[in-house]
Amino acid sequence: MSNDLDDDLRAALRPVDPGEKFTQSVLARVAEESTRSPRGPRLHTTTLRWASVALSISLVIGILVAHQWQVRRTQRGLEARKELIQALQLTGEKLDLAYRVVNDEEHPERGGEPGA
Amino acid sequence: MSEEASCHSEEWLTRALAGDAAAFGMLVRMHQRSVYSLALRMVSDRQKAEDLAQEVFLQLHRNLTTIESGAHLAFWLRKVTLNRSIDRLRREPKLEAIPLEAAEGVVSEATGADPLLTRRLNTLVAQLPAAPRAVLLLRYQEDLDPTEIARTLGMSLNTVKSHLKRSLSLLRERFGDTARSSI
Repeated sequence: MSNDLDDDLRAALRPVDPGEKFTQSVLARVAEESTRSPRGPRLHTTTLRWASVALSISLVIGILVAHQWQVRRTQRGLEARKELIQALQLTGEKLDLAYRVVNDEEHPERGGEPGA
Repeated sequence: MSEEASCHSEEWLTRALAGDAAAFGMLVRMHQRSVYSLALRMVSDRQKAEDLAQEVFLQLHRNLTTIESGAHLAFWLRKVTLNRSIDRLRREPKLEAIPLEAAEGVVSEATGADPLLTRRLNTLVAQLPAAPRAVLLLRYQEDLDPTEIARTLGMSLNTVKSHLKRSLSLLRERFGDTARSSI
């Protein structure tokens, strides 16, 4: 060993060339990675993410719209029921009135009968 | 890296950034010795070092737009290579405790250097813990000064100096032992 360890280390630790095969392997892997398009999967993931967000929003809007539609339908049903009851009440009253009129016309004497 | 090489590096970098695959190939050729040797002397296994170095260049290709200059490229490659190597050693601690014979693949084709001495020194360097080994490689393989080493490894200057001092005294001590045992 020489006296100067620094020089010995510099000589011993000179870089080793891996050779042209190494360069070719690196370039082949780079080309392979480029054809696989690293942006492709990333874009695909982004698209998927946006699609899932859009789907979720659509789903929420759909549920809200369906809920509103259901509420309005129920309200319309209740209003229709109310109107029907009113109509039936009116009809009943009119029928009652008509019955009384008919009854009075058929038996006018009843009103004058003693004890009637 | 020399000034001329750095100038070429800038040129190839500009062309590689424009999508020129051949220019990227030139960048790989310019830096593969440094990256591969750092990886090899860190993980002490040819195949693993080759895989690691290839991964570093793939990472470079993916992050090429973040590289600002030729000097930044060399800094980035050293930093990523050593970080990946240290991570690898953490995940596979058995790589760190390699036997003397296994380090033979890391011997450089140094012209005029004593092959036995070169082999012994490489073996002893391979036995150092990961952090001091990285410091020693940046100092003697990459010829960086302690400030540049500290910046590359994200260490304080004092830590770098301390690693260098301790590693050198350990190498002297161990080299003396192996020299005595081989007589």
